[in-house]
Amino acid sequence: MRRVIFAITVTIAGLVALLSFKSHFPERAVAAPQGQPPAPGGTPGTTAPFTGASAGKTLPAGERAVLGTVANTIYGPVQVQAVVRSGKIVSVRIVQQPSGTTEDVQIGQYAFPRLVAETLTAQSARVDAVSGATYTSGGYVRSLQSALDGAAGTGAR
Amino acid sequence: MTPRAVPARIGAGPRGGVGVGMRIGIGVGAAATAWLWWYSTPAVSGPGGWLSGAGEVCGLESGYAVVILVLLMARIPPLERGIGADRLARWHAMGGRYVIGLISAHALLIIWGYAYQAHTGLISETGTLLTGYPDVLMATVAWFLLLGTGLVSARKVRRRLRYETWYYLHLYTYLAIALAFSHQFANGAAFVADTAARFWWSALYLAVAAAVVWYRIAVPARAFARHGFAVAGTREESPRAVSVYIRGRRLTELEAAPGQFFRWRFLTRGLWWQSHPYSLSAVPSDDLMRITVVDNEGKFAALPPGTRVIAEGPFGAFTPARSGRPALLLAGGVGIAPLRAMFASLPGEVTLVYRASSEADLVFRPELDAIAASRHATVRYVTGARADLEEDPLSADGLRRLVPGLAEMDAYVCGPPGMTEAAVTALTGAGVPRRRIRFESFEF
Repeated sequence: MRRVIFAITVTIAGLVALLSFKSHFPERAVAAPQGQPPAPGGTPGTTAPFTGASAGKTLPAGERAVLGTVANTIYGPVQVQAVVRSGKIVSVRIVQQPSGTTEDVQIGQYAFPRLVAETLTAQSARVDAVSGATYTSGGYVRSLQSALDGAAGTGAR
Repeated sequence: MTPRAVPARIGAGPRGGVGVGMRIGIGVGAAATAWLWWYSTPAVSGPGGWLSGAGEVCGLESGYAVVILVLLMARIPPLERGIGADRLARWHAMGGRYVIGLISAHALLIIWGYAYQAHTGLISETGTLLTGYPDVLMATVAWFLLLGTGLVSARKVRRRLRYETWYYLHLYTYLAIALAFSHQFANGAAFVADTAARFWWSALYLAVAAAVVWYRIAVPARAFARHGFAVAGTREESPRAVSVYIRGRRLTELEAAPGQFFRWRFLTRGLWWQSHPYSLSAVPSDDLMRITVVDNEGKFAALPPGTRVIAEGPFGAFTPARSGRPALLLAGGVGIAPLRAMFASLPGEVTLVYRASSEADLVFRPELDAIAASRHATVRYVTGARADLEEDPLSADGLRRLVPGLAEMDAYVCGPPGMTEAAVTALTGAGVPRRRIRFESFEF
C-alpha cells in the first residue's frame, strides 16, 4: 500500500511539473545590413519572426520601401518588403511568412536569412531556392519580384 | 488462479462473423487515417520531406491505433460475445507491441526529417522539438510511459510481477494517451488548419472513452445496485477447491449462459482491489450463483458471508452450440467448473469425462453422479498420473474407447492449457471436426 501511495504521489508531482511547462520557440531577430551575412544561432528574447530590418523605423532620405504582393504557397503566404535606394536593394523585410505550424516557422528561420543575403549579393530577385524550402523560396521570389517591379515602375531614384 | 478463456474459432456461423467484421472495420479505419494524411499533405519533396512524411503517417496511425487498443478492452458486449475475452486480449497484446514500435518510428522519423529540413543536427533538433514545439514534451513522456508499459508486459518481466502490480502499472496507458493527444492537434499538418478533421478525431476519442466509462464503470455499478451481489457462504469441495455462493436479486436478468464467467471483485480487505474472472460452476437461479475456485491461500474460504461483490458480466464465448447433436464434455482438473454448469443444462445426450490426477482432486462427485442419474447421462472419472496409467486416456484411441460414437458429437473441453491442447489434438485425431470443438483453458 505504501508503494501505491508513493507511486500516485510521484505521478501527480510529475504531471504538475509537466503540465506547467510552456514550450517556447526561440525567435531569432537578425539584422541584415548590406552584404553582411546573418549570424547563425538564435538569440531568444525578441518576439517578431525574422525581419530583415526593423519595422516602423523611418527610412533615411532617398530610400523607399516597396511592398510586394502576397505570394500564396501551399504552406502559407509569403510577403516581402524591399527597401531600395538609387536602384540598389538595401534590405528586405519579411512581412508575412508561413507560420501554420512551428515546423513552418523553423524552416523559415533557416531559409529567409539565406534568401535575403543572396538577394543583396545578386541585387535582384533571381536567387536560388533554399534546399528544403522550395515552396517558401518560390513565394519569396515572387513577392520580391513584384516589389522590385513596383519600384522600377514608379522610378525610384 | 486467473482462468483465461481461449474460445475455439468456429469458422461458419455468426460467431465467426463478428471477428471478421471487426478486423475489416479496423482496416477501414486505418485506411481512412492514411487518406487523412494524403489529403492534408500538399507535397513531399526531398529526403527531409520523405522522412517527415513517413513520420507523420506513423504518427497518425499511432493515434488511431491506440484508440482501437482501448476499444478492444472496453468490454463491449457484442465484441465479448462475438469474439471472446481472450481473443480480444490477444489482439490487444499483439497490437500493443506493434503500436509501440509505430510510435517509436514516428518519433525518430520526425526528429530526423525535421532536422534535415531545418539543416540542424539531430541532437539540436531533438532539443528544439522538446522545448519549442507545443505539447511535444508531454507527448514524449507519453511515449516513454508506453515503452515502459511494453517492457513490463513482456512475458519474462510479467511473470515476476503480481498480476495486480502489472494491472495497475498498465493503467498508465490511459495517462499516456491523454498526454499525447494535444500534440496531434498542435503540430499535425492534418489537424492544424482542418476543423472537420479535428472534430472527427475528437469524436473518435470521445466515443471510445465513453464506451470505457459506460461498460467498465457504469454498467457494473448499475448491476451492483440492482442485483445486490453478496457472498452467501463458502464450501470446501476438495483440499484445494472452494465453492463460493453469491446471492443476489433478479439474477435471471443477467442472462448468464452455462459456461460463461463473470469478473468478480470481493469488497473485503485484501481482495477489493483485485478483479478475477471465474466461471459459474452451476446454472444460476434467480437469487443464487456459484463459482468454484482454487484457493491456495485460503482467502476465499475465509470470505465472510454478507461480503459485497461487484460482478461484471456475463462474459465468454464458451457456451452450448444448440446444434441438437450429442455432446461430450471433457474436463481437466478445475476445468470442471464451467462444464459442471453445462452438464446440468445441455439438452439431449451428454457424456462427461472428468480427468484429474487423483481421486482426492475430483470435485462435485456426488452432484455429478446425481445429475447423471436424473438425466440418464454418462459420467466417466479418469484419475491417475499419466505415467501410472497403461495408456494415455487423452489420446485419440483412448478417447474413442472411452466414448463410443465420439465422431458425431460436439465436444467442449476445459482445463489447464497443456491438457486442452492435448485434448483438442486427440479429438481431431479421433474424427471430431475442428469446428465442433469448443475449448477454454485456465492458466495458473
